[in-house]
Amino acid sequence: MSLPTRKLPTRKLTVTINGRRRGPLDVPEGMMMIDVLHEMLDLTGSRLGCGIGICHACVVIWDRDDQTSEEVQTCITGADFFNGKRIRTIEGIAQTNDRGEVTALSPVQQAFLDKFSFQCGYCTPGFVNAATVLIERLRRTPVPRAEVEATVTAALDGHICRCTGYVRYYQAVRDVILATPGLTRDGA
Amino acid sequence: MNFRRLVKLAAVAVGLAAAALSTFVAIGLPGGKTGGAVQVVNAPAEMVARGKYLAEAADCAACHSAPAGAPFAGGLAMQSGFGTIYATNITPDPDNGIGRWSADDFWRALHDGIRRDGQPLYPAMPYTSYRGMVRADADAIYAYVMQLRPMEVANHRTQLDFPYDIRLGMIGWNLLFLTDSVPAASTGSSAAWQRGRYLANVLGHCGECHTPRGMLGQMELSEPLTGFALGRVAAPDITPAGLASRGWTAESLRTYLGRGIAGPDSAFSDMHQVIVLSTRNLTAEDNDALVTFLLGDKPPPAAPLPPADPAVLEAAASGAGRGDYVALCAGCHGLEGNGVPNTVVALRNNSTLRLADPRNLLVAMLDGIGPENFPHRASLQAMPGFANKLSDQQAAGLANYLRVIWGGQKPDVTAAAVRALR
Repeated sequence: MSLPTRKLPTRKLTVTINGRRRGPLDVPEGMMMIDVLHEMLDLTGSRLGCGIGICHACVVIWDRDDQTSEEVQTCITGADFFNGKRIRTIEGIAQTNDRGEVTALSPVQQAFLDKFSFQCGYCTPGFVNAATVLIERLRRTPVPRAEVEATVTAALDGHICRCTGYVRYYQAVRDVILATPGLTRDGA
Repeated sequence: MNFRRLVKLAAVAVGLAAAALSTFVAIGLPGGKTGGAVQVVNAPAEMVARGKYLAEAADCAACHSAPAGAPFAGGLAMQSGFGTIYATNITPDPDNGIGRWSADDFWRALHDGIRRDGQPLYPAMPYTSYRGMVRADADAIYAYVMQLRPMEVANHRTQLDFPYDIRLGMIGWNLLFLTDSVPAASTGSSAAWQRGRYLANVLGHCGECHTPRGMLGQMELSEPLTGFALGRVAAPDITPAGLASRGWTAESLRTYLGRGIAGPDSAFSDMHQVIVLSTRNLTAEDNDALVTFLLGDKPPPAAPLPPADPAVLEAAASGAGRGDYVALCAGCHGLEGNGVPNTVVALRNNSTLRLADPRNLLVAMLDGIGPENFPHRASLQAMPGFANKLSDQQAAGLANYLRVIWGGQKPDVTAAAVRALR
C-alpha cells in the first residue's frame, strides 16, 4: 500500500555552483535551495539551522553580474531564485585539485583553525562564507584600519553561534583583514 | 519643496507672525518663569498609580525616551517636514527636566502648549489632543512623573527651518488650529463610546498619526483618522469604514491592541511601540471602550476578503509576481500564504495587503521588518528586506500578486511607485 501523493508542479533550475554548471534540474515548486543542495546535488556542507532565515548557517555566496558578492540564506530562498545565477557554497571555498582533494584552505578557513574559532562547527560554513564576502567587499572598498573591528562585527552580526564562539571568529577575521594588503587604508 | 510652495509657506508664515504679534501685544507674553524652587511632590500612592496608568494610556514614554535611553529622559528625534524636533527630558531633574515645574505649569504645557518659560511648544508634543484632558488626570500624570528618578540628561536643541524656528509663530498657529475637542470618526453615545473617545482622541492621541495633516502640519479635523503617512510607514485609515473594509472586527481589534498580534496581523513600525508601551496596559474595560469608539456603537460588518475575478487571479498565478513570491517569500510565508503560527504572519487576508494604498506593503518588502517582542512573551523574528534582490518592476509585480490573491485589491502598483520608496 502506498500513501497518496500529490504531484507538485516543477520548475527547471540551471545554476552555476562553485564554477560548475548544474542542471537543468526539475525542482518541485516551493523547494528551498538548501534542500536542492542537500538532496539533489549532494552538496551537504551548507547547514540547515533555524529554517526561517535568522541564524545564517545556510548562507551561500551569490556572485552578482556586477562583480560584487553577497550572502543569501538558502533555507528561505526558493531554488527558483538561483536559476541562471552563479553561487559558491562552502565546498567551493578551499582550493582543490583535479581529483577534488583540498590542496589549500582559504585564509579565512586557515585562520578559523589557527584561532580555534569553532567548537561544534555547525555554524562554521556560514561564518566562512560571510567572512569571504566581507574580504571581497574590502578588496573593492578598503576601510580605515581603525574601523576594522566595527566592520567585522557589522558583517558577521547576523550569524548565530550557539557555542558562543563569536570572539574567536571575530578575532580571526580581523587578523586576516589586517594581514592582507589592500583591504585597509591608513587614516580616517 | 518647489519654489512656489516655499513662497506660499513664507506668506502664510508672515501672516502667522503678524497674528502672533497682535496677540502678543493684546495679552502680553504669557508669564514665563525660569529658575525657582525645586518642587517636592508627595502624592498619595494611589494617585501615583493612577498617574502611571494614565501616562501609559497617553503614551508619554514613546516620544520622551530615546532608543536605549533612560525612560522619560527625552532625546528622541522626530523628523518633520519643517525640521527636526527633539522630545525633552520630563524626569524631575531640576535643570534638564521638569523638576521646577508646578502642577499648574504641567497643566499649561498639556492644555495650552506653553512651556514653563512661556515659550510655545511645537505640536510634535500633542497638546493639540491632550487639550481635552481633565485636570485631575493631568495632575495624576504630574504626580507620577515627579516621583520618577531625575535623569541628568541634557535636552537637544530643536532644529527647524526658517521661519518655523520662530516659536512665537506658534501663537498664531494655535489661534488657527488649536481646538478644545477633536471630532469623533465614529458615531455613538454609550458610556463605553464616551470613555473610548477620551482614550483615543485625548490620551491615546491616535489622530496625531492617523489623521491627515495640512500644509502647516495641522490635523485636518474634517477627516479624522482617515490615515496619513507622517513618516516612511503610513498610519492607515482607522475609521469604522476603513477598519471594516480590511476585515477588522471588535474582537480582532481588542486582541490587536492588547497583544499586538491578531490573526494575520501584527503591529510594526511606530504602532508596535504604541502597543508595547501603551495599549497593552489598558484594562479590559478601557480596551473595550477604545474599540467601541473606533468602530462606533454599531460597528459596520467586517468585509470578507472579496472573491477575486478569476481572470485576474489566473493572470496573477502565472505572472512573474508568483515566481518571485515562490522564490523569495514562500520559504517563510508558505506557498498558500498561511505563514507559521507564532513565527511568521500569514499574508492571506492580512490588513496591510488589504490597504488600497500599497505603501506599507512596499516598505515592508524593501526594508524588511526588525525583530519584535510582543506582550505575553510572543515574538516575531526579523523579516529581511529585499531591496537588493528585487528590481522596481519585480517588486511591483510581486506586490500586485499579493494584493490580488490575498488582499482583494487591484494590481495597480507601478514600478514608479516602488522607485519612489527606494
